[in-house]
Amino acid sequence: DQYDMYSVEMEKQGDGAMDVKIKKKTKAVKKKEKLESMKKEMDVDDHQLSVEDLELKYRTNVTKAGEILLRDGPNELKPPKGTPEYVKFARQLAGGLQCLMWVAAAICLIAFGIQCGQGDLTSADNLYLAIALIAVVVVTGCFGYYQEFKSTNIIASFKNLVPQQATVIRDGDKFQINANQLVVGDLVEIKGGDRVPADIRIITAQGCKVDNSSLTGESEPQTRAPECTHESPLETRNIAFFSTMCLEGTATGIIVNTGDRTIIGRIASLASGVENEKTPIAIEIEHFVDIIAGLAIFFGGTFFVVAMVIGYPFLKAMVFFMAIVVAYVPEGLLATVTVCLSLTAKRLARKNCVVKNLEAVETLGSTSVICSDKTGTLTQNRMTVSHLWFDNQIHTADTTEDQSGQSFDQSSDTWRALCKIVSLCNRAFFKSGQDNVPVPKRIVIGDASETALLKFSEITLGNVMEYRERYKKACEIPFNSTNKFQLSIHELEDPRDPRYLLVMKGAPERILERCTTIMIKGQELPLDEQWKEAFQTAYMDLGGLGERVLGFCHLYLDPLQFPRGFAFDTEEMNFPTSGLCFAGLISMIDPPRATVPDAVMKCRTAGIRVIMVTGDHPITAKAIAASVGIISEGSETVEDIAARMRIPVEQVNKREARACVVNGGQLKDMESEDLVEILKMHPEMVFARTSPQQKLIIVESCQKLGAIVAVTGDGVNDSPALKKADIGVAMGIAGSDAAKNAADMILLDDNFASIVTGVEQGRLIFDNLKKSIAYTLTKNIPELTPYLIYITVSVPLPLGCITILFIELCTDIFPSVSLAYEKAESDIMHLKPRNPRRDRLVNEALAVYSYFQIGAIQSFAGFTDYFTAMAQEGWFPLLCVGLRAQWENDHLQDLQDSYGQEWTFGQRLYQEYTCYTVFFISIEMCQISDVLIRKTRRLSVFQQGFFRNKILVIAIVFQLCLGCFLCYCPGMPNIFNFMPIRFQWWLVPLPYGILIFVYDEIRKLGVRRHPGSWWDKELYY
Amino acid sequence: MAALHEKKTCSQRMENFRHFLWNEETGQLMGRTLINWVWISLYYVAFYVVMTGLFSLAIYSLMRTLNPYAPDYQDRLKSPGVTLRPDVYGEGGIEIYYNASDKESWKKYVATLNNFLKAYNTSAQQANINCTSDKYFFQKSFHCPNHTKCACKFTTDMLENCSGRDDSNFGFPEGKPCLIIKMNRIINFLPGNGTAPRVSCTALHDDFRPLDLQYYPVNGTFNLHYFPYYGKKAQPTYSNPLVAVQFLNITRNTEVSIVCRVIGAGITSDNPHDPYEGKVEFKLRIQD
Repeated sequence: DQYDMYSVEMEKQGDGAMDVKIKKKTKAVKKKEKLESMKKEMDVDDHQLSVEDLELKYRTNVTKAGEILLRDGPNELKPPKGTPEYVKFARQLAGGLQCLMWVAAAICLIAFGIQCGQGDLTSADNLYLAIALIAVVVVTGCFGYYQEFKSTNIIASFKNLVPQQATVIRDGDKFQINANQLVVGDLVEIKGGDRVPADIRIITAQGCKVDNSSLTGESEPQTRAPECTHESPLETRNIAFFSTMCLEGTATGIIVNTGDRTIIGRIASLASGVENEKTPIAIEIEHFVDIIAGLAIFFGGTFFVVAMVIGYPFLKAMVFFMAIVVAYVPEGLLATVTVCLSLTAKRLARKNCVVKNLEAVETLGSTSVICSDKTGTLTQNRMTVSHLWFDNQIHTADTTEDQSGQSFDQSSDTWRALCKIVSLCNRAFFKSGQDNVPVPKRIVIGDASETALLKFSEITLGNVMEYRERYKKACEIPFNSTNKFQLSIHELEDPRDPRYLLVMKGAPERILERCTTIMIKGQELPLDEQWKEAFQTAYMDLGGLGERVLGFCHLYLDPLQFPRGFAFDTEEMNFPTSGLCFAGLISMIDPPRATVPDAVMKCRTAGIRVIMVTGDHPITAKAIAASVGIISEGSETVEDIAARMRIPVEQVNKREARACVVNGGQLKDMESEDLVEILKMHPEMVFARTSPQQKLIIVESCQKLGAIVAVTGDGVNDSPALKKADIGVAMGIAGSDAAKNAADMILLDDNFASIVTGVEQGRLIFDNLKKSIAYTLTKNIPELTPYLIYITVSVPLPLGCITILFIELCTDIFPSVSLAYEKAESDIMHLKPRNPRRDRLVNEALAVYSYFQIGAIQSFAGFTDYFTAMAQEGWFPLLCVGLRAQWENDHLQDLQDSYGQEWTFGQRLYQEYTCYTVFFISIEMCQISDVLIRKTRRLSVFQQGFFRNKILVIAIVFQLCLGCFLCYCPGMPNIFNFMPIRFQWWLVPLPYGILIFVYDEIRKLGVRRHPGSWWDKELYY
Repeated sequence: MAALHEKKTCSQRMENFRHFLWNEETGQLMGRTLINWVWISLYYVAFYVVMTGLFSLAIYSLMRTLNPYAPDYQDRLKSPGVTLRPDVYGEGGIEIYYNASDKESWKKYVATLNNFLKAYNTSAQQANINCTSDKYFFQKSFHCPNHTKCACKFTTDMLENCSGRDDSNFGFPEGKPCLIIKMNRIINFLPGNGTAPRVSCTALHDDFRPLDLQYYPVNGTFNLHYFPYYGKKAQPTYSNPLVAVQFLNITRNTEVSIVCRVIGAGITSDNPHDPYEGKVEFKLRIQD
């Protein structure tokens, strides 16, 4: 195991306070042990103490509060220890390629030192090379740093900076203070709309409900009350957690934990203990660096031996060795990779995906498993009416965010009656002044299901507030947990009708108990066994969908018994509450976002497995999973099969079940091997009721299977998993700061579908990087062979060091970057994710084909042009062989050429520069051909279209112009060793360029025609 | 991913490498079976044979297009270089330092000169013709023996006092050394535009009094009948004309920097990047 293991243990200390220990364990520790310690849940006993004990434990007053504040620190989450800026910058300088270049620069400096030591002061090439290498690393480092700095800023702008206020009672007086001043033992008040300022043990509560979704993933509001209902602090009702929302009601409580010691603080700190995984692209680049280094040392060693055999002195041979090793370093590649990645990052940012780390751009493309949180990621995180049952039929309501879906038939009289009940028997109301806001976005005061019903009736009926005024409310009984119903009595709209209307809603079975009739198509029919059966079926169906079901009924009161002005008494209940008429059922759910099912579908076609990991209940989780397609149609769980075949669960062959729902309780008792086994066995997985640690374990298990895992989430509870994942994707709007901090990518519009874009762009950039690298690597050989020939055959040097740097860092950068704009060759979203073991960024075929075939042709082109230029100026090829010693002798001012003419050293030097330039032009001409063939790996360039990629065309033109400029700009010979060359020397390499193009077309044709053949295996990269 | 970047111990790596070198199960040698190696080798042999063939063809056709008598271009040879004999290089270019009374210190210079002038003795110049005209010696046709063009004789006696005939020590012991200036040859180059180019030696720094020196041939000119040069194939026996300079009164025990220019139309000596174009600089120091 390469990554360090962290275990989080929460232990009770002597004074009962919780303590979190994050232990960094050595790799020797067995995984099992790690899992064990992970499984330890939060252990708190404050919820089990009596109020008196609690007061004893945490007694505090105004003066003591200051002391405690000093001791515990302010009540806020410490921002995760931000990486210092210089470390961030240093990281940019320490990637795989960067290390290669540092080593190369060091070798250059050593070689320069050796040359200096030998008194050879004329050649500073090695020094220039070292400076150029260092400059490239530093400049690209700055560029990368700037990119990350920018995206960090975008993310930071999303942070909520408004300080929070809290009502605290100290020494019997109420104060409004900043929430970060609170200390343990403070008595605080919360009411609907507040954010809970710390972990609070509830002492008194009136109808208090909190939204724990950011902590547990449950979208249903949770009741808070003084009683201890569960031994687990997470489940019990009498603790309200820091940073959760209080939706309605009021409560007072004693603060038991503040700041980082709160549950949420501990989960957040759990995330900081998890180490970031290396990105797949970083692994690929390291693999590539291995290949390069291996080849470089092999070549360098070979020619070192050759040089020694030829008879060079040891130190000279050593310098040759170093020069060859350095020549293998693709100086331009780092810049190319960085620019390509940041181009994609920009493209993603335009689609609202902000990437924190450039390398993460590609990761989504390699992703094979997405572990998605449910609430807020797959769902809208708000209750919405989804189904209605009336007239013995289940109707589906429109649950889309923008009400673009289909509505149901609203012509029935039953619907009218039901609608009246829904509108009237509801205490929720819109905050005023929101007339222009679309209904789903309006702020509502009231609990989640009442809000859902209010919005539902507002949309279907129109102005509910006005409607309610027309039916004046005579009296009301709000919902409570003993009655399990809510009731109100209204006057009718028509003043001539003296009847009162009693409307009621509540738990369906309780409502049904009170009914004697049922309304079908506007007719009141007696509620016999048959209708009860129908009701049961509908109730079970809706419940099975994971939805919260409410029943509705009404009764027109007898005007004789209850005349206008009758004094209804809610305590005495001096009105009938049975014998009512049942109108229908309405069920609600936190519905999936509209774009999610489509996105999940696309992920599946792209071979990506989507796993749901949520804190919510299994039934709800399963229902949502089914509706978004995580559990596909026709897939069954073991339990489903058991139910269908009417056999016990144990007898079902588990392999038959495609789907599987595992809840946190089961997970707790599972060994990590079992989990891996389950993940292997069932392709469609849902994990429910999971704790943050368990999410972490699930992600790890997927990674153990060799998958590259993406995690999406928004809550604090997701943050450890986000960090552990190969790529963590957080939601920008709904996401908590902890989640955003832990994530590598942020979806600014919270749109899960953006992930699909990310996958597509990631895959495209992987393909295109392959092409860019192949293009960049090719020219390494024509850059290296001149030096090899120079050493072995002793011709005048055909290509100088500065010229090579110009090719690498100047003329060829733009074309190689332009390959990033290349369109995909096939529908990449219909392919499986790449296999990280087999489909490497740079494989053997790519390196060998680029180096020993295309690179070789380019070298031949260069030498042809070189010998042409030499011969036409008076130096025949045979004379050149072995000429080096005389040629480079600066004391020899009358060296004879093949025609007997005598040349001074200066004249020979300019001739050498001419050779450099000619060789440079040859490489450029061949590289134009090279960039054209690299447009595709399998398709013919004619199929892909020559001019489809405009940027590439511009890049070629730019490359030619730059070549002309370097050749013909006055002053170049003495600054950069470029000479104005004759026009025909531009044309000498052309046939080789055409040869490259034709050869590659033949290669692609063979690859297309004979897939799987020897040709395909050896020549397809 | 975890399995992908597991850290391997050194022995595991070695084991993996050994496995890579020879895999018993699949019979793979360095990742390929033997037959596979044969195929891929054959492919590459064929590839390189074809490529070498194409390359040879290209070089062959290049050689076919070349003129054997004169190069296609003389882009770098616009103006001839000038060299000095003896050419002994020290730290800062050509340095002729010697002690007049110490034979060992100047023997090497004399030897160099003698050696250099061997090519100009009468027997060596046998094949060349005597030229008397002071004009360019144009030859359209190959009327000399063996289908060549004629070259004019240049013999050591033209250098008179510096010929080594009368004074075999070239004046070194007397402190009046003879140095020889040679101009590089360039095919079809016509120096001087009808006037014979001449050598002019001056002290590099003006604070010295004018140098007292003597040129041989007198006037220090290169006679025009040595030009133009028609190349090695047309004039195999051609030898460059020379000018000898004898320094008559050099301040003893002082380093004198001297520049010898060849003056004539078409000969430039102001190229900052080539110190030997049209001129030669050297340092002279004679000790007692």
